[in-house]
Formats: sequence, structure tokens, C-alpha cells
Amino acid sequence: MKKLIAAGAGLALAFTVALAQAQQLKGEYKLGVLEPLTGNLAVQGKLHLEGYEIMRDLINTRFGGVMGRKLVLVIGDAPDPTAAASEATRLATREGVKIITGTFSSILCGAASEAAARQNVIYWETSCVDPRFTRRGLKNVFRTEIDGIGFGWYNIEFIAKYLAPRLGKKPSELRIAYIAEDSSYGQGVTEAARERAKKEFGMQEVALEYYTYTTNDLTPVILKLKNAQPDVLHHIARDQDAILFWRQAREQNLEVKAVVHAGATGYGNPGFGKALGDESNGPFALSEPGVGFLIDKLRPDGQKIEHAFREALKTKTGSDVPAGGHQLAAGGLWLLKVVLDAAKTDELEKFRAAVMKMDVPTGSLMNGWGVKFDETGQNSNERVQHYMLQWQNGQLVTIWPEEFTKNRAKWVPLGPWNQRK
Amino acid sequence: MRVVNFAHGEFLMLGMYAAFWAFTLLHADPYLTLLVALPLFFAVGWGSYALIMRPIVHTSHNVQVFTTVGLSIVLQNLALVLWSGEARFVRTSYYASVVNIGGAVLNLAQAVAFVLAALATIALFAFMRWSYAGKLMRATAQDRAAAALMGINTDRIYALTWAVGIVCVGAAGVLLAPIYPVYPTVGLQFVLIAYIAVVLGGLGNMVGALIAALIVAAVEVIGSYTIGTGWKEVLYLLLFIAILVVRPAGLFGERGAEALGM
Repeated sequence: MKKLIAAGAGLALAFTVALAQAQQLKGEYKLGVLEPLTGNLAVQGKLHLEGYEIMRDLINTRFGGVMGRKLVLVIGDAPDPTAAASEATRLATREGVKIITGTFSSILCGAASEAAARQNVIYWETSCVDPRFTRRGLKNVFRTEIDGIGFGWYNIEFIAKYLAPRLGKKPSELRIAYIAEDSSYGQGVTEAARERAKKEFGMQEVALEYYTYTTNDLTPVILKLKNAQPDVLHHIARDQDAILFWRQAREQNLEVKAVVHAGATGYGNPGFGKALGDESNGPFALSEPGVGFLIDKLRPDGQKIEHAFREALKTKTGSDVPAGGHQLAAGGLWLLKVVLDAAKTDELEKFRAAVMKMDVPTGSLMNGWGVKFDETGQNSNERVQHYMLQWQNGQLVTIWPEEFTKNRAKWVPLGPWNQRK
Repeated sequence: MRVVNFAHGEFLMLGMYAAFWAFTLLHADPYLTLLVALPLFFAVGWGSYALIMRPIVHTSHNVQVFTTVGLSIVLQNLALVLWSGEARFVRTSYYASVVNIGGAVLNLAQAVAFVLAALATIALFAFMRWSYAGKLMRATAQDRAAAALMGINTDRIYALTWAVGIVCVGAAGVLLAPIYPVYPTVGLQFVLIAYIAVVLGGLGNMVGALIAALIVAAVEVIGSYTIGTGWKEVLYLLLFIAILVVRPAGLFGERGAEALGM
């Protein structure tokens, strides 16, 4: 408890000092940023970059830069694992950065961080959720976001404790089907969810199907689901596959009582609502806080940075509702600034010691996050608070945990397609 | 022409964007857009041939491959810069309408696309077989030097051939827009499987390509349903390899036919 209080006081002090130093930055601090800015993953990559840039400007203008220096982003494009590795090497060797952050996707973060490790450069991941990422014994690797196991844990928590009572069933009576895209992201989340659902709650698994996310037809999967008749569909989608599935599910009149996803992609991507409009009503997506999030439920430090970020976002984009990509990148960068200010160096051993020392309670940082890294470099699932959002009339609305929102879930059970208005 | 166009998928993407923007800005139904898209993509095809393909059409296959791959990347990134990577949707009033054929439920737009694609294939076949321009195209494909000696302007025939190809893929893009999300890399989802169908059917054999496409689709869907979705690509690629081992020229092709344009 003393540690938590000390950490809270430290954060408050950081705010005060930072505000006083806002106009007194000495020199520059170069940070490498790797995101997929072209190719299939560019939509999310660009959202992440926008999040980094907004937070960079906030840090420089209002929060005293990084270690008293102006934060400068050196950007690399990582559309695929090969490019991610070569760009990480370039950032380290040509640009001379000591820390690289990025890269959103589970198919990129492994390659990028391996390349960074070879150059003895710190790799600060803010998004990818592949559980293997922090299990390779690399001392230079840290992840601020929860991993796929955390996603699976949260989803089953929501299904068992929130959905099951509303569907009038015990968790052990729920018929649950799993479908997912077949990368380490989809498989990691799904396998974690399956294990917890079966072991802790005894849910009845009625279907499991993996597919390639670039598929252009999901009808066979939907026909299998119609035969399996699940109550709840746990669907981890990567991007356009969520739109394709939803549309084809409607055409084939697939009726399930709830659809639950995790992550800022797929159903968590703003593009899902844009593509489908009101037709998108119903599915749940575990993500960072969405519309209707009660910021005043956070701790004071968390409130300050959350308000500051949303104001900056509104100035830049015209909307104060951030996308998941914005929140992951900006939240991760803010935490990096806090660590660097505490460590006062980017030398790996001292930086790592500062990371391991941090013990910040939930609600203290952006997105309501807290901090407690384990030895593998993974921030703890319990501290990285997540929220269940639901598509309601074109918006991703925060509905759970209920103490963080006044909104409530609708269409539980989902009911016929034409009655979800 | 004996040129494999690796940018074919990107011209498909442009067709999809044409339908999307016409629908969004002008509220034009995609099937109405199709009428405008045909001459538009003919012009795009003719222009792209004149600017990009004409200088390399007689060079080695390596140069052609790198040029069309380069064109593919340029078009993808141009779309990304101009229209962002965001997925767009053409949501017509009938976009969720379905047709039920013997218990099989199909999206209306899918059924229409199938019928129109079949009609377009028949029209193209007839054009190639019986029209004067089609005969010139086949003659040029069989022996360019002999065709030139007979007074055929082979350069114009190549331009026409390229433009007809772009018209076909542009029209396909317009037809697919009401079915699939539109985004800069959408062409990649279709180009590999299309190439497999063409090679499986026998390069240069239009009817073969049509039948091979139906075979690939059947293997893909039936395999997905009975064995597992993750296996669908494995299944049709295994079939592809097996057929090419037994019949290297494809199901309906003849050895060397692609070189002769048969």
C-alpha cells in the first residue's frame, strides 16, 4: 500500500514539475516508432501513429518533454515482418535511437523486437497481444497492453458474470462457439478463453473454427454455426473479416444470443460501424474506454491525462472519442514518458530497473491503466483495466464494468436481425 | 501478349472504388455505374498500356513481372494516400436482400454478379471468336511477325488486348463492390485465386478458366464446410499441384498453347 501511495505521489509530482518545465526543454530525445503505414494493416498503423503524435505534442507542450528534453519521433514503416525487422535495425543503427515503440500487430512485434534486441535497443510494445512476445527471455522487451491471455480472461469474465445472468442461464449451461482468424492474435485469445471457460465455468463448447483473415467467404463457417446453435459466439476478427462475417451472418440468418470480440481490430475497429451503420448494432468488443466512459471514476492523475488527451484529440481530429489504436499508442507512450522520467536514462539495465520498480494502481494512467510489470516485461493483466464496448447505433459504447459508465447493454439476447434498432 | 499482369487485382480495386464513389457522391446504383465503367476502364486500359506497357511489352518476362508488380504497389499506395486504408461499403437499399435457390441462400448482389460475369464471359468469347478485332487479336497472338506482315497494326492490337483485359477486371470490380468492403489492398484477396483458375484451366483457354474457377470454388466451399476453413487454401492448392503434375498445361490447355494464344 505504501508503494502505491508513493507511486501516486510520484505521478502527481511528475504532473506538477512537468507543467512548470513545459517551456524549458533542453535538447531532443529521439524515439523510434514502427507502425505498418502501408499495406493491409495500414488503417490501424495510422491510427496508432496519430495517437503517438498527439501524445508526443502533449508531452512536449504540457508535460515537460521526456527527461527534460523535447520528444522527437523517428518513424519507420513496417508493413510486414521483414520490413519490421529491417526498419528496426535502421532506426537503431542509422538513426541512433535507444528505444523503439510500436508495432500494433502480433505478426510484426516479434520480428521487430528480435531485431531491436540484436542492436541492444529497448523495445516498448504498446499493442500487439501475442502471448509469446514476452516469453522469449529477451531483457529488452516490454509490453504495456495486456496479452491475448488477458483478452481471453476478460471476455470469459464478461460472458460468465454479465451475459449469462441476462440470458437466464448459469455459465455451465451456456453453449459457446469460438471462431477466430488464425494468426497468433486470434489463436492466442481464443485458446485462453477456451481454457478458462471450460476449467472455471464448465461452459459447453459447441464449435471451434479458425480461418485466414483475408478470406472472402465465411459462409461455410456460418453454416457450421447454424448447425451448432451456440448461445454465445466468441469471435476474434482482425479487420474486414468482421464486416464480412456480420454481413454474411445476416444473409444466412444466423441467430446467436451474443457476439463477443476482443481488441481494437475487427469489431473494435471504428470501420466496422462506418461500413455497416445501424446494421452493426449488437456485438461486444473488449477494448479501451469508448463512448460514455466516466472519466471522473479514475484517480486524479488518470483523469488529468485522459482529459488532456481527449482535448488534444478533439483539436486535431474534431472528435473527442478516441479509437482503440489512439488509446493504445498514446497510453503506451505516456507510460514510457513516466518510466523515462523516473529512470532518467535509456540505458537498458537502469531503465529495466525503473520499469520493474513501478507499482501504480489501476486508474492512474491513460485508459484507467495501472502499472506492475513482471520479470518477462509484461504489464500485469489486472492493472491494465479493460472495458467491454457494444456497437449501439454506429458508436462503440462503454457498457462494462458498470461502475465506469451509465450506459447499459442492449439487445441481450440479440434477437432477430430486423429488430436490433 | 504473353504478359502476366500482377497489377490486375489493383485494377479490380479501382473498379470497386469507382462504384463506391459513384454511389457515395452521385447516389448512382453500381449497376448503372457499370455502364459508365466500361468505357472509363477501356480508357484507363489504353492509357496504362501507352504509358507503361508499350515500352516493355517486347522485353524479357523478368522486366514485365517487375513492372507490373511495381504498378501494383504504386496503385495500392496511391489509393492509400488518396482514400486512406479505411474499408468502405456500398450499401444499396437491397444490399441485404437474398435469393433462395433450392435451400441455398445467396446474396442478391452475388447472384447478379455471377449472372453478369457469365454473360460477360460469353460475350468476350464471342468477340474473340467471331469479331474482326477478335480475329486480329488471335492472329497477333499466334504469330506477331506474320500478323505484322499481313498489315495488322500489332501495337494497336496489343493496346486493344490490354484495354479489353482492364475493362473486364474493372467491370468485375464494380460488380464486387456491393458484396465486399472496398479498401486499397482488396485486390490481393482475389488475384491469387484468379491466377490459379486461369492456370488450372490452361493458359489462353477461356472456357477452361471458367470451368476451373467453378472447380476451385467448389473445392474451397465444400472443403471449408466438411474439413475446416483453415484447410480451404491447402485443398485447392493441392488440387492445383496435382493437376499440374498430371497435366502441366492445365485441365484444358495444350502444351505451348499459351504461347500460341489458342
